[in-house]
Amino acid sequence: MKDRISVLMDGELDDRSAAQVIDALAAGNEAGSEARDSWRTYHLISDALAKSRVLSEGFSERVAAALAAEPTVLAPRRLGGAREPRRWVALAAGVAAVSLVGWLGFTPQQQPVQVAKAPTPVVPKEAKPALVALPSGTNDYLLAHQAFSPRMSLVGMAPYVRTVSEPAREARR
Amino acid sequence: MRKRALGAALVLVTSVAQAQSPETLGWLRKMHQATQRLSYVGTFVYQNADRTETSRITRYAAEDIEKLEVMNGVPREIVRTRDKIRCYLPDSRVVKVDRRVDRDFPGLLPEQIAALARHYDISLGETQRIAGLDCQTVVLQPKDDLRYGYRLYADVKSGMLMRADTVDAAGKNVETLMFTQFAPGNVTADMVRPRHEGKKWRIEDTGAVPAYLAGWGLASELPGFHKVTELKRRLGESRPVGQMVFSDGLAAVSVFIEPLESRPDRAATGLASMGAINIYTREVANHMITVVGEAPAVSVQRIADAVEFRRPTQ
Repeated sequence: MKDRISVLMDGELDDRSAAQVIDALAAGNEAGSEARDSWRTYHLISDALAKSRVLSEGFSERVAAALAAEPTVLAPRRLGGAREPRRWVALAAGVAAVSLVGWLGFTPQQQPVQVAKAPTPVVPKEAKPALVALPSGTNDYLLAHQAFSPRMSLVGMAPYVRTVSEPAREARR
Repeated sequence: MRKRALGAALVLVTSVAQAQSPETLGWLRKMHQATQRLSYVGTFVYQNADRTETSRITRYAAEDIEKLEVMNGVPREIVRTRDKIRCYLPDSRVVKVDRRVDRDFPGLLPEQIAALARHYDISLGETQRIAGLDCQTVVLQPKDDLRYGYRLYADVKSGMLMRADTVDAAGKNVETLMFTQFAPGNVTADMVRPRHEGKKWRIEDTGAVPAYLAGWGLASELPGFHKVTELKRRLGESRPVGQMVFSDGLAAVSVFIEPLESRPDRAATGLASMGAINIYTREVANHMITVVGEAPAVSVQRIADAVEFRRPTQ
């Protein structure tokens, strides 16, 4: 199970296995609690390695809601169990993990698969696929693609405007 | 009862006939011809959910040259001639050069316009004024949710497309291209020259050539989307990639295939979008697959999921 939780966090688990792991994470029994512990620990590790991440909008509200719903998860004893040198990072990361677990607790049936596929699981998404930033070099792809769009013969080269747009250029850097 | 059924059948027949009426298809032809025939200078606005951008487009029909300049932010421009597309990026001092392999690519020929009726119900809407011109609306309603719908507004006199809305299944505009100013005629060759000489700039030539990508294909094609071309090119500074293009006659989706080792970074698996463009990235057989198309996310993802590599048999 621990291996699969780790793969799930990397967003590389297929839908069915992901659903199983999430069911396990949401389970109220001892195995579920153990799974959640692993989940948190892995997040602590990954967050400590990757420095802290940018928190999404409404993050603190969700954390607050999660805290209200799952007070035991934040028990100091468990946080204290995290690796010493990383404690202050770990605190934030732990809260992030709690937020997800809390969210899972609220809506276990509704969208388990989406959570599984999202690489930053703190933010639940409506759409099924993981939403990612525009890939680096998006302009190059667009430039290469645009020439073959049959629409071009109706609207001239206007759609090329996408290939030199600012946001995509920023994604290049 | 029988009478009512007959009535319903009649209505059905009439609506089908309307959807494919010669007049409606005539409008699409007229737009296509105007795009080829006219010289003009126009200001147009590109808008999607995230932003609005103003550009100027100049077309010199005698030599078939078009120039697009972005007016916001850093000046950027693209010049398209008969055989090349050059994209000037002044802040990084780069010229991207793409050979037009699509010259032999038929685009939207008149006979293909009729074929569009297979995937879209095409009908005429109301007339509207855009950039001071009376425009006829042509609505392309997709017959399934694998493609976007379009609302096209063409100048009644010239047939020039003045506005194009891309519409999703919920009827929401995902992208609008609209002229706010349009002046036909009086264009000289000077006006379509690039503003930048670009002499000491770095040139990134894509070296695109038609090619056969052995072993690569789709496990199943998306309904209505057929492979229209296949080529090899370089992306960015020099990453070699394969490209397959699938189209339903109006929307197009490109599949880019690049060896993982030539990529500077591992792109994340998942969906990114920008207006009507959706991009889905995943790994297949040690290659990064990037699918780019002006089609709904579900179509782009389905094509991406269908990409497979089968070792070519001897």
